[in-house]
Amino acid sequence: MLFSILEMFRNEPLLLFIITLGVACAIGGIPPILERVRRRGIENDLPAMLEALSDSLGAGLGLQQAMMAEADRNTGTLGKLLKETLAESHASSFDAALASFATKSRSSQVQRVMHLMSTAIEQDAPLQNILADMSRDYERLNDLMNRRESDLMGRSILIIMFVSVGLPFLIAFIVGLFAPRTQGFQLESFNSSFTLFFGAASLVAISVSGRMLGRMRSALWWAPLWMAVSMSIYHVGVLVIGG
Amino acid sequence: MRSLDESREILYVIRTLDVLMGSGVGLEAAIHSISQGGYGIISKDFEGLMENINKGRPLEKELRSLLKKAETDGYKRVINTMLNNVTQNTDIIETLRKQGERMEETRTESVKEYIEELGGVPETLLSIGMIGPIILSILGIAPQLMEDAEELFGPMDQGMIMSIVNVGLFLTLLGMAMIGLKAHTKDPGL
Repeated sequence: MLFSILEMFRNEPLLLFIITLGVACAIGGIPPILERVRRRGIENDLPAMLEALSDSLGAGLGLQQAMMAEADRNTGTLGKLLKETLAESHASSFDAALASFATKSRSSQVQRVMHLMSTAIEQDAPLQNILADMSRDYERLNDLMNRRESDLMGRSILIIMFVSVGLPFLIAFIVGLFAPRTQGFQLESFNSSFTLFFGAASLVAISVSGRMLGRMRSALWWAPLWMAVSMSIYHVGVLVIGG
Repeated sequence: MRSLDESREILYVIRTLDVLMGSGVGLEAAIHSISQGGYGIISKDFEGLMENINKGRPLEKELRSLLKKAETDGYKRVINTMLNNVTQNTDIIETLRKQGERMEETRTESVKEYIEELGGVPETLLSIGMIGPIILSILGIAPQLMEDAEELFGPMDQGMIMSIVNVGLFLTLLGMAMIGLKAHTKDPGL
């Protein structure tokens, strides 16, 4: 059986190509996940940092002092980045350090906040109120983003599992049971049509579930792997169930 | 795509305008600051507006043409507020703050709606994505399964049946993609 499965893979160059591509793309898909986890960690810490800065300013501290206190308090990635920024600000200007902090965070939220803070400092605006407002705004935004993630994650996994695993297995079971290869059924063109369909359906499922979570581009890195899984399940299923 | 970009950026533009104008910066300078970048499509719009102003066209006329270009209600309202400030000297800061609060409420509501609307997508997608291929797979193997029943059903051409199966699979795929498109078109733009 094992040899006939291997032989089947040998006779399917497209499937072999997609498996190879899938493994390569899956490796490429890991950095976006790690980056996203890091970025979301920073963004979830941002409202608390802004609130603490606002409180410290209200207590009469300068912005740089308030940031130093926050860097000591925060043990996460944001605190580490803040410490680096403040260390750099000794060698350059505070404004340049803020810009560097925004760039290093690689987060559009942090970049917007830092841009607004620089503008407020430049214009001599009431920083304490601005920071408190921003803290409230970003807390709401992050709550919404986290809620979207938690509510739609289960549904997105459901779509992928059913379309990429459940469906090919079900069809393979039907075909293997009713039209087994050992009884001389000729299913080359049938199998090739369905294999292509499962590959394309997996691509659609990955795109939809990625879009639901608002990260289609990083989800697409995993598409070739799921396409390969789906196509392989069908081929192996037909072979094993069909005898 | 433009409306999605607008709805994603407009709240941040309002907050920036609020900070800038609240600290005494004029409307034109605030628009210039946003045109420097960081606010996606709105920065590009403001950049074009600033270019035309620098060529000598009046701000009012430019804001009116931008109003025609805007697609989302929120963006239109902000431009309208700017226009009112230019023509009637209205209190732009207070209006922007109110608009910001209202827009935030709308955004929260639209995210809730999005989550609710997408609740049915997996079921619909799976219904079409599973029932279609099951029926088509049975249809595809039917000519060989019922070879001995030609007298009852008449001759069935495997090639013709496969063409029907292929078209069916393509339509199933198209249906799945169309259902999935809802996830894109209804995106609240967070």
